[in-house]
Amino acid sequence: MKADEASLARLAALAQRGNRAAYAAFLGECQRWLKRYFVRRVGAEFLDDLVQETLLSVHAKLASYDPARPVLPWLAAIARYRWVDQLRRIYKARESAFEDEVADDAEEPEIAARISLDRLFAYLPSGQVQAIELVKIEGLSVAEAAAASGQSESLVKVNIHRGLKKLATLIEKA
Amino acid sequence: MNTKPDPFIDGLVVQLAPVTPMKASAGLGGAAASLAVAIVMVVALMGLRRDISALFLLSSGLFLLLGAAASLSVIMMGRPSVGSEHGGWVWAAAMAALLPATTLLMGVTHGPAAWTESDPETGVLCLAMGLLFGLVTGGVLVAWLRRGAPTSPERAGLLTGIAAGSFGIFAFSLHCPSNDLYHIGLWHSLAVVVAAMIGRLAVPRLIRW
Repeated sequence: MKADEASLARLAALAQRGNRAAYAAFLGECQRWLKRYFVRRVGAEFLDDLVQETLLSVHAKLASYDPARPVLPWLAAIARYRWVDQLRRIYKARESAFEDEVADDAEEPEIAARISLDRLFAYLPSGQVQAIELVKIEGLSVAEAAAASGQSESLVKVNIHRGLKKLATLIEKA
Repeated sequence: MNTKPDPFIDGLVVQLAPVTPMKASAGLGGAAASLAVAIVMVVALMGLRRDISALFLLSSGLFLLLGAAASLSVIMMGRPSVGSEHGGWVWAAAMAALLPATTLLMGVTHGPAAWTESDPETGVLCLAMGLLFGLVTGGVLVAWLRRGAPTSPERAGLLTGIAAGSFGIFAFSLHCPSNDLYHIGLWHSLAVVVAAMIGRLAVPRLIRW
């Protein structure tokens, strides 16, 4: 069963008061949600690490959630921050297989659309998106990405640098 | 809900301690308290200015509003949420920028005498005192951000500097006796600009997570 916004928010509020059973359930639901959230935007070999890093951030920053506000946009902001951070750190990645599973958030489609990672990419020029996808997510080398995209190697590097910089400014805004 | 055991999650659950949610009202209270402390320090250590002029009221009001707007943005940035803009401070900054812009324009037409009228010796003191008293607000906001989860540490640092500089120079302007446009427009505004630069450079490394 997939947790909805209301029950996830209730669990988060209970966790803030020190309820460990609620916290275990909350983290379990966050873990499943994060896997669906990241699956198309991170190489398969990095997925578990990214989910764990994000859960650690959720744990460390639990106080930053205000129970009066929706919980999924808060979780998504933390997830986006960790995702951009990981993209910055990955310089050479092996080719990764992609899962075709699409995050199924049909229960709350408006929220899902608002907080998706794809929405971040919509604010970037196509050249920057392509360079980031090829090198940072699919794990191609800069030379391979240049050949695949038709961009020069230096342009691929510039597009990655500018794209990641722009992504970092869009985490909450986009 | 699925409660299948997971060692990683179990490890986090064991470490759980109750936390107080970061309510915006608590952050605003902290920022207001920091301003109050700065004002009390200025009044107690240096004394209040003796008169009230239109320029003093206008300029102090601009710095107070800019400090409040920047503080509010910093407080909201500590509680991340996709869909938040944090852009309201830009309008307050634009309004406050009218002060140095007017000073510059008048200075160009007034000539070199404007520099002398700005009273550079006292001006440097105002700049230093604005930064010093701004440390109170700066410290409170950095502590807030360290506890929170700002997703844009660079912007949060810049805004922390603007808030600290604005509240600091507002507090010190309650003592500064000057009613001169060149002095207030140049030196008091400079306190905000310098604080913003310090915040942008120094704060991100303190609040990154």
